[in-house]
Amino acid sequence: MSLSFTGERSLGDLSQRRSRIGLVIGSGGIKCTMAIGLLKVLAHEGIPVDVAVGCSGGAIYAGLYALGDDVRDMEARSLVVWRDLFTKLHYRSLARAIAPAFFGYHEQVGLVDDRRVWDVLESQFGMRTFADCRMPFFVAATDYRTGEKVTLSEGRVIDAVRASIAIPLLLRAWPVQDRLLVDGGASNPLPIDIAIMEGCDIILAMGFESHMTADVGSFTQAIGRTSTIVTNHLLRATFAFYSTAHHAEVLPIVPLLDRDVGITEWEQVPYLIEQGEKAAYEQIPYLRRLLASQGAEPAVVAPMQRAVSAEIGATSPSTWRSTRPAAPSASPPASPPASPPASLSASLSAAPPASLSASPPASPPA
Amino acid sequence: MSRPGVALVIGSGGVKCAASIGLMRCLHSEDIPIDLVVGCSGGAIYAAAIALGLDAASAASMTTTLWTRDVTSQPDRRALLSLVFPKWFGFDGRFGLKKDTILNERLAQGFGNATFADCKIPLFITATDFRTGEQVTITEGRIADAVRASIAIPFAFPPWEVNGRLCVDGFLSDPLPVGVAIREGAHVIVAMGFESPNQERITSGGRFAFQLSSIMTNNLLRASFAFHGLAHHSEVIAVLPQFSQRIRLFDTGKIPMLIDEGEAAMREQLPYLRRLLAASSAPQTTGAP
Repeated sequence: MSLSFTGERSLGDLSQRRSRIGLVIGSGGIKCTMAIGLLKVLAHEGIPVDVAVGCSGGAIYAGLYALGDDVRDMEARSLVVWRDLFTKLHYRSLARAIAPAFFGYHEQVGLVDDRRVWDVLESQFGMRTFADCRMPFFVAATDYRTGEKVTLSEGRVIDAVRASIAIPLLLRAWPVQDRLLVDGGASNPLPIDIAIMEGCDIILAMGFESHMTADVGSFTQAIGRTSTIVTNHLLRATFAFYSTAHHAEVLPIVPLLDRDVGITEWEQVPYLIEQGEKAAYEQIPYLRRLLASQGAEPAVVAPMQRAVSAEIGATSPSTWRSTRPAAPSASPPASPPASPPASLSASLSAAPPASLSASPPASPPA
Repeated sequence: MSRPGVALVIGSGGVKCAASIGLMRCLHSEDIPIDLVVGCSGGAIYAAAIALGLDAASAASMTTTLWTRDVTSQPDRRALLSLVFPKWFGFDGRFGLKKDTILNERLAQGFGNATFADCKIPLFITATDFRTGEQVTITEGRIADAVRASIAIPFAFPPWEVNGRLCVDGFLSDPLPVGVAIREGAHVIVAMGFESPNQERITSGGRFAFQLSSIMTNNLLRASFAFHGLAHHSEVIAVLPQFSQRIRLFDTGKIPMLIDEGEAAMREQLPYLRRLLAASSAPQTTGAP
């Protein structure tokens, strides 16, 4: 999808060029309902969004937002959605998974009743297409056969969302345009790169780390722990790469939770929305400063590659060396750290995100 | 401390990691010394062999004796029972479907009581903390212990305790730990990595699990490699051998072929490496090449 196409439908004020704002909501199961809190804040503060990107559970809310649904409706419906989404098992699949020889192994395992999931999604999206969205909207998924990242931006929104939420083991892969797709979280849990490619200057990125269970007392928990380790590392590594590569601002919104919320714990949704709202409000002052400083001058949409070379060129070996042995500190380092952050939330909660951009719109506080 | 020049990082990749023997053969014949070695999972075995100063032939023969089918031939029945009845048979974090007796014996055979202090080249082995998920860099103690922790394939072998931390396979946190070489200040990093193969047909739960793990670890490999490539001010040379044949887990018979293709892959990168070394040996104070 080209920039000219997205520009036509941009909500931007025609008389004045302002920063192009992207909203990215990452994968995180039921925790993605925290995005409702973020959307409430955006509505309340009157912050415009030009591009919406979603992955897995995040695709549900990025999609509803892009389609122009009212956030109060989303909030009202969210309880019902998550009560119904993953709670009914598909017993035949369960039997197949346990005894493949008896029941015939199907290429895809899906332990959740797919028809129910489809009904829930249909109640939210109907048959609306990407063309019905009031802003460019993109969904991240993963090619099941090759493992590649896939970006969806055409056809029915419901198909794209269903593909993106195909959590391994719970839901079967979903065919879209001749490709079999699974959960976007398996390749790109927080797809900031899509917003970068769409030329966003400011990217609001809401991501969710998976919770480490305290104890491993069963095989399921051992599987859970192992996949949590990999998904968290994937989240941090992709985030570290995208924010190093991006010339402008990535504002991470990573809510901290005082408890673990499982995918079937729909009673927790109001708590999650509230936490999302809180985390979003924390970023508002910084976002306002960015908007104030960038609105005055024309926003620069530089190709990603040029920005990257500028970034690397600007980092001299001496500054690199001097920051290398130091332990991660609260103040943002002048050069990228030697490893992805140990924990997204820990490294980001203390200070505004390290501004890696070449243009200094807002200098980080001392 | 003098600046280390060339670091070698060998990523996870099971038996395919034997390609690193070929890589070393190439560097050796070209008189390019290695100043620091990092290894992860299967790569840890060869990183250790290189650091201890084993020649190519003995490193190759070590693998063929270490990694045979009987390493995974002993199912742990008690572990299986604990899978089905976690409460009665005490399922805990030390779960593994296979007994690790033979594996541990082989590692003891291969590395004896050699420690990191015996290494001729500084050695770093990465594993993953099973409790916190963090990457663990092991730099002291018995090499056999470090390698055992680094190759603790989830669900197959039980995790291994090193310095009071319960460790699993290093690939879970970073399949190609270039970051360790960066932190050690290496100037030029030669990184040999391997992508996991995609399953052609998914006909069982096991293959389904393999395919999922391939998807996620390959994406983790690419993302962390992309980040480290950007973050590092100097040069990371990727050596990614494309094998002409499909390599299965116990294809030790194909090791000679793996070594040859590893050598060929390194040879392709030689002109670039030579240019970098020439540039860095000249006195310089500013800027990356």
